[in-house]
Amino acid sequence: MMPPQTAGAMTFDSPPSHPKLWLDAVNEWFTTVDHKRIGMLYIGYALVFLLIAGLEAAVMRIQLAVPNNHFVSPQVFNRMFTMHGTTMVFFVGMPILFGFGNYLIPLMIGARDMAFPRLNAFSFWISAFGGLLLYFSFIGGDGLYGAGTAPDVGWFAYAPLTAKLFSPGHSTDYWILGVFLSGIGSVGTALNIVTTIVCMRCKGMTMARMPLLPWLYLVTSAMVFIAIGPLTAAQMMLGFDRFLGAHFFDVQAGGSAVLWMHFFWIFGHPEVYILVLPAFAFANEIIPVFSRKPIFGYSAMVGATVLIGFISLGVWAHHMFTVGLGPAGNTFFTLATMIISVPTGIKIFNWLATLWGGKIRFATPMIFSIAFLFQFLIAGLTGIMLSAAPFDWQLGNSYFVVAHFHFVLVGAILYMIFAAFYYWFPKMSGKMLSETLGKWHFWLFTIGFHLTFDFMHIPGLMGMPRRIYTYEADRGWAVWNMIESIGMIFQAAAILIFVWNVVRSYRHGEEAGPDPWDAWTLEWSTASPPPHYNFAEEPVVHSRRPLWDLKHPQAPDSDYE
Amino acid sequence: MDWEGKVNAVQEPGKGMHAEHTASLHLPAPTVWPMVLGLGITLIAAGLVTNETISVLGLVLSSMAAVGWFRNVLPREKQEQITVPVSAEAAAQASAQPFRSPHTPVLVRPAYSFVSGIEAGLAGGAAMAIIAIVFSWIKFHSLWYGINLLAAGSFIGWTDAPDSFLSQFHPQGLLAALAIHALVSVLVGLLYGAMLPIFPRKSLLTAGLIAPLLWSALACSMMKVVSPILSERMNWWWFVLSQVAYGLVAGAVINLRVKVRSAEFQALPFATRAGLHTDAKIGKDEGRR
Amino acid sequence: MSAHTAVLTQSTGEWQLPDKGKVGMICLIVAEAAIFIIFVLAYIFYLGKSLSGPTPAEVLKLPVLGTVCLLSSSLTVHFAVTALERNAARLSALWLALTVLLGGIFLAGTAVEWHELIYKYGLTIRTNLFGTTFYSLVGLHASHVIVGLGMLGLALLFAVAGKLNGSHAHRLNVLSYYWHFVDAVWVVVFIVVYGLGR
Repeated sequence: MMPPQTAGAMTFDSPPSHPKLWLDAVNEWFTTVDHKRIGMLYIGYALVFLLIAGLEAAVMRIQLAVPNNHFVSPQVFNRMFTMHGTTMVFFVGMPILFGFGNYLIPLMIGARDMAFPRLNAFSFWISAFGGLLLYFSFIGGDGLYGAGTAPDVGWFAYAPLTAKLFSPGHSTDYWILGVFLSGIGSVGTALNIVTTIVCMRCKGMTMARMPLLPWLYLVTSAMVFIAIGPLTAAQMMLGFDRFLGAHFFDVQAGGSAVLWMHFFWIFGHPEVYILVLPAFAFANEIIPVFSRKPIFGYSAMVGATVLIGFISLGVWAHHMFTVGLGPAGNTFFTLATMIISVPTGIKIFNWLATLWGGKIRFATPMIFSIAFLFQFLIAGLTGIMLSAAPFDWQLGNSYFVVAHFHFVLVGAILYMIFAAFYYWFPKMSGKMLSETLGKWHFWLFTIGFHLTFDFMHIPGLMGMPRRIYTYEADRGWAVWNMIESIGMIFQAAAILIFVWNVVRSYRHGEEAGPDPWDAWTLEWSTASPPPHYNFAEEPVVHSRRPLWDLKHPQAPDSDYE
Repeated sequence: MDWEGKVNAVQEPGKGMHAEHTASLHLPAPTVWPMVLGLGITLIAAGLVTNETISVLGLVLSSMAAVGWFRNVLPREKQEQITVPVSAEAAAQASAQPFRSPHTPVLVRPAYSFVSGIEAGLAGGAAMAIIAIVFSWIKFHSLWYGINLLAAGSFIGWTDAPDSFLSQFHPQGLLAALAIHALVSVLVGLLYGAMLPIFPRKSLLTAGLIAPLLWSALACSMMKVVSPILSERMNWWWFVLSQVAYGLVAGAVINLRVKVRSAEFQALPFATRAGLHTDAKIGKDEGRR
Repeated sequence: MSAHTAVLTQSTGEWQLPDKGKVGMICLIVAEAAIFIIFVLAYIFYLGKSLSGPTPAEVLKLPVLGTVCLLSSSLTVHFAVTALERNAARLSALWLALTVLLGGIFLAGTAVEWHELIYKYGLTIRTNLFGTTFYSLVGLHASHVIVGLGMLGLALLFAVAGKLNGSHAHRLNVLSYYWHFVDAVWVVVFIVVYGLGR
């Protein structure tokens, strides 16, 4: 389904059919420094890991579907939840968001490439190789259970479980090294994004005229510097402990296990916002276009984003209420966590106000975005519940927490990633994704998501702890777990439809043309897919919606600035 | 023509202006060094959890990449020149052919034959076997030790066999070892046959040192899973030596066939070296490395 | 549209954005600073928590010479940049050489200190929490000094070969930012390890 085309539907002559020299193509992709190709490499790589980590989740759901199950061994189960978490955060979430950022930011700010194209390529490859190294542990890692042992210490790798004594062999070292390498790549890309946004904007694009997506990526990237550093430092310390016999987290020698928790969560909580801000960024671009209205409260959006960035650096210890921080710590981190709901609330109201009175088009990107609004709201509400320290003492490390953060990571972030995919795939490939398959994807995934994660709150409230291998039938958790596992089947089916949609549409999809959604930002002013040089002539911008100005010369936005 | 006019030209080709000139601009040239540096650093890290050889290799790759990267940027950044079409039709064409100038490959023929790969594999395998037998003779005064050791991975009963047992002649051991060795040798030979023409510069170093080191390191880290007995009793220094022998002989055989080291071959464009021929002019963006 | 464009092009007028080398280096410095902060915090957190000796008060001496050298090298590298900006390549090479020399003296001082700690007092990274945090923090800083010296040394090589000229002043300036950062970190390390820690 094509939305009504205003800017003049255009048909390109179909490209003369050259047999692509595949080895040449491989060489081009290996040596490319083009931000669009690196962006697509990031996205493709993240999608592969999304499937792998999804498979690991499926194994866990099968294992937990019925009480006293022995589908996999406890050791394998430990590896599954460790690798699922690590992969989803470091090798799916970060790369896919960086991928979209890489692809879109230069196009949106009217630049020809990123500020440091070679560093960009390096950042991608070192992240990618880091992921491969982590997964090599399935074959080459040796741990407690002999050869072929993947890391099994949980994605936050709490001390002292990671000490050489309790995690012999190298499986934990694989976790350290793989994530460490991806961290180098993350900092490299974040540095590139900030520099690109600060130094490469086209003529006339002041910070106040910049689309919101680069703005939010700017804040995210700034947070990457501050958040990845502590993780890298903590991993170096853990590495010193394991390789050189240092005592940072060695409780026998006076080291502190709680220090690791602090360091990890100083990274870990900003990380959540590093992942969710790009999702907000996609919503900021998609919701206005499909409501046919400019975004409501541009400056409030920017302000709220910066505020989120700052506050998120001071809330990490709400992951550690159960440690016993004392009254002062508990009060501070409870209040800080609750305050962060103010800027997020501002954002939600801005999106609602953008929808209000708009001429809403329910294309696939839009329905994913609307579901995102609802689900993110629920995630926020359970988040406020958990931010109260006494409540958290009851439910910390229960399935309630698992349900809460999957509402954020899946219900908000993954939904917006899907929305972004449907929205920008035409720009990247020149082909529309099928709307019919897209709607199937959306509804199946939404049914599956809510079956799995709505019902996950309940066994959590009933006391089911996370990361348990199996449970007794008399606990009363069996029904809920069965429902959750059934939901997983729906989600898996939806993902298969999505993959099929991408493959089919890439081959036989409808031609997209440069501007299929009648949008307003610069990336839609160039061809789809954009030429290597992005813009034949560097754009000049006079308002927040440069393409609107072009399409409506009689009433340009720039008259109202 | 200003930017706005250009956008209109892209979006509404009918109404666009028909300027006939082209502009040219510069974009950074593609380079492989960032990837090599990433690989090098990863291998340095991987060496910590597998085998030091990998770290050494990673260090070599990283230093090569650092130098390559440096020369890519200094004294002057390497760039490729791109001609930008300015007329509406040309703009439309550019969007249809975003990444390469339109040219049609007319002939696709492999420049390397499978035969040379197989020959190289067999010759290299023979060289490797000689080293292995020399090793057996020096260390155990038996021609058969190395052969039986290789075969031991496929016989469960041999897992804990004493050295004296492995030093005797066993027909099934010889057969199994021959099969394993021939298969792996030929497969690696095919790989050499494919790789050396693609990366002809410093082919002696690639074939004789880097590839054997990479392969040894990989084998070393995997061997615990594939064949524990081999991993326990193998002498890795001799193993690397035999790999180097293999690499040198296999590389020499391929060079006999393809003349990889000749200057004419190295001057060929990438696509031709890779076994795919095009009639394209070798432009700046075509001769990229 | 063209009239409209003309009016607005006027209003945009001069379009100047910050230099990307500097912005990139500042970003790198922020990210590196985050790593150092964590190591410094760990050092402070573990002060006096070692279960066995030796303690900092027993074995650490003030590295006065090294500190003076490193801090003054910040000045010399600054002079090297300004000299190159004025296209005085020879003078710049001289200042660069002095910078490398001063950085080298600092490193040598650290090496002597570590040698004494290890062989005289038997303090290694495995000995106690003091050893663990001390060697990590000072070692991390020293590794940054080595990287910086490597790059300055490279610049010096080019300068000696006569390949350095005014057009490279910008790159040298960006490099000098890194060197100033390394110096600033040393000030913090010095205060924490040799002041607060003793």
